[in-house]
Amino acid sequence: HQAALRLLGQGGGSSSSPATRLSAHPDSRCWFVAWSPNGTLLASCGGDKAIRIWGREGDSWVCKSVLEDGHQRTVRKVAWSPCGNYLASASFDATTCIWKKNNEGFESLTVLEGHENEVKCVAWAPSGNLLATCSRDKSVWIWEVDEEDEYECVTVLNSHTQDVKHVAWHPTRELLASASYDNNICIYKEEDDDWECRATLEGHTSTVWSLCFDATGQRMASCSDDRTVKIWKEYPSESGDTSWKCVCTLSGYHGRTVYDVSWCPLTGALATACGDDAVRVFREDVTSNPEEPVFSLVAQVTKAHNQDVNCASWNPKEAGILASCSDNGELAIWRFKED
Amino acid sequence: MASHFSGVLQLTDLDDFITPSQECVKPVKVEKKQGKSVAKIQIEDDGSYVQVNQDGGKQKLEKAKITLNDCLACSGCITSAESVLITQQSHEELLKVLRNNKINEAEKKIVVVSVSPQSRASLAAHYNLSSSEAGRRLTAYLKNLGVHCVFDTSFSRTFSLLESQREFVERFHRKEQDSKAVPMLTSACPGWICYAEKTHGDYILPYISTTRSPQQVMGSLVKGYFAKQQGLSPQQIYHVCVMPCFDKKLEASRSDFYMSDAETREVDCVITSGEVQRMMEEENVSLSDVEPAALDTMFSSVCGDEFLSHAGSGSGGYLHHVFTHAAKQLFGEEVKELTYKTLRNKDFQEVRLEKDGNVLLCFALTYGFRNIQNLVQKLKRGKCPYHFVEVMACPSGCLNGGGQVKPSAGQNQKELLQKVEELYRADRPLVPESDPRVADLYHSWLNSLGEDGAKELLHTQYHTVEKMTNGLTMKW
Repeated sequence: HQAALRLLGQGGGSSSSPATRLSAHPDSRCWFVAWSPNGTLLASCGGDKAIRIWGREGDSWVCKSVLEDGHQRTVRKVAWSPCGNYLASASFDATTCIWKKNNEGFESLTVLEGHENEVKCVAWAPSGNLLATCSRDKSVWIWEVDEEDEYECVTVLNSHTQDVKHVAWHPTRELLASASYDNNICIYKEEDDDWECRATLEGHTSTVWSLCFDATGQRMASCSDDRTVKIWKEYPSESGDTSWKCVCTLSGYHGRTVYDVSWCPLTGALATACGDDAVRVFREDVTSNPEEPVFSLVAQVTKAHNQDVNCASWNPKEAGILASCSDNGELAIWRFKED
Repeated sequence: MASHFSGVLQLTDLDDFITPSQECVKPVKVEKKQGKSVAKIQIEDDGSYVQVNQDGGKQKLEKAKITLNDCLACSGCITSAESVLITQQSHEELLKVLRNNKINEAEKKIVVVSVSPQSRASLAAHYNLSSSEAGRRLTAYLKNLGVHCVFDTSFSRTFSLLESQREFVERFHRKEQDSKAVPMLTSACPGWICYAEKTHGDYILPYISTTRSPQQVMGSLVKGYFAKQQGLSPQQIYHVCVMPCFDKKLEASRSDFYMSDAETREVDCVITSGEVQRMMEEENVSLSDVEPAALDTMFSSVCGDEFLSHAGSGSGGYLHHVFTHAAKQLFGEEVKELTYKTLRNKDFQEVRLEKDGNVLLCFALTYGFRNIQNLVQKLKRGKCPYHFVEVMACPSGCLNGGGQVKPSAGQNQKELLQKVEELYRADRPLVPESDPRVADLYHSWLNSLGEDGAKELLHTQYHTVEKMTNGLTMKW
């Protein structure tokens, strides 16, 4: 089928195209972009130690707030709470900052300390009560927030043997997945009064940079320095335990490390961010066997940015809207259209 | 390969405590002939080194090799701190000393082994014996190898408990003048101590009890009192401790526990319960087949041939003893039984002394890294409601230490832990204040050393560890 990926606003009738390629973190890297749960705001973070919140004004995207002075070093990732009122930021300064939305913008509520060194990722559980962070110190922490906005450590997991790059929560269950420089993915669940690694997914032959679940959580996509994207499916096992098997490997499409993968909850399309400067979109063939799905490359922008693309993120409420960002400090907003 | 050390210590980075040095000072024996000639060294095409003598003759030079076993206590250099520690304090080292004793009468060392009650319970569980029975047979096994005395650290723990009790009351009395007197945090766990020294430093160290752990009190007793009594120099004694974790090896190698005059450590070697089991396995010995021996009672708490223990947790009972003592001393309350309230998880428990609606004492147990984290954060924010906290690095405490004997085939860790706990608790508890021999040692030996002398043997200090930014120590 026919599909296209274009900068949002391009290909329209008007002579001037709205700004959908933004210099989000000038003279620095833009590491990550995250859409707010209602899809109206986009948060970006970068090497300039700042977080910027972008919103639509007419046809343009403008910077609504700048969250500065929260971190001493690069802000690596940001995550919105499910209710949209809080933002968590993970930094190389070994802390995670929790910001609360107010009338003017955002204020720093609290700073979570504990990791030995660079925090690589932060993610909110769908319940909104739990937060997960991971770090170069090889550990994954789970935090719990109470009614008074006080955060306490619930558990510290040491299942990886190297830098942990990313953590992501299952969309509907209290299940956490982590990706590491040790080439593995770990799945964690609560057991008794502590959390445990219930499965270690091997298969990638190099660093796993990111992962995400599909809308139902039955499948997970991971991407790696080995230039592949793997699709994993959960199978119930006799012991009631979690068993995940790799059902598809997308290889030969990416020229360099695949840094991010995003699964659209509305359309099921899969977007990737790559070190070869491209953004790609894949689609599952409708005829494929669910036990052995086939994904095809349906759209790509080979020079989406002029440097490594670090992140790709689908808008959760507006189908086909994709944000990406790059080492050149830019962020871009795309429209993915299928015929 | 997964580290043997506690989760808390692993996150801390062992290399900060045993720092790799840039120079290897290990002397390597080289065959050299006497002579005044000067030689040149040439590198051949194949990369080998050749000495060219004045007369033109060439000699291939041997490569200097250092094996892990040869490595002296210059703290690591090319090897990681962890591997140095584990090799230097291993059952092989103990066997080496025992072998040397047989060969070399002149350099004979008196070998003393102090066994922790948690290790005894772990071995008992593995060999299906009672804890006291395991202790009697372990004594026999070790003596058959050539060990001279086998003691039990429940004895030295009595000192640690008494000192902790007194220290707490003293701190409670000065809490209005000293903001860091209370809460008092226990000091027996080296995983916790090293984490506190490295990660929180000067902020948290003043809160930590200065009382020595049972291992190090035993070190003082063996290399101090026992040595003197036997007419030996401390160096002539090789003191081994059998412990439930690997972190205790790090504790034994602390400079604070090195006797500089005698040039010897108070505890020369720590081996884990698992290492003792492996040692026996290597010789095809099973504790269940060994004939029991009489116990060495000088530094063991026994009644007949049964070992005595202490009430409270399997990690030493610090909270139990300090609480009951403080309740009596400070408020005249007799506490018969403690009611523990489980908070966030089973490794975080609270005990309160309340009267007429007022909370007089609020104590807690925090085991495991996650709970230690929360404790420290509360302290930093000034929101810690406790007067005393028993802190242990391992979830479920010392009975679940990283060095305990692993589950057998078909057994899971939980079942094994439960068995170890039951065996541990089966020993009858003794009240620290009523041990006549401990009281005697206080009166005779410790008092004779004066207050400072006694303090040196029963207390210690802590040091903030600075983060090393030396390029050689960075791990990528």
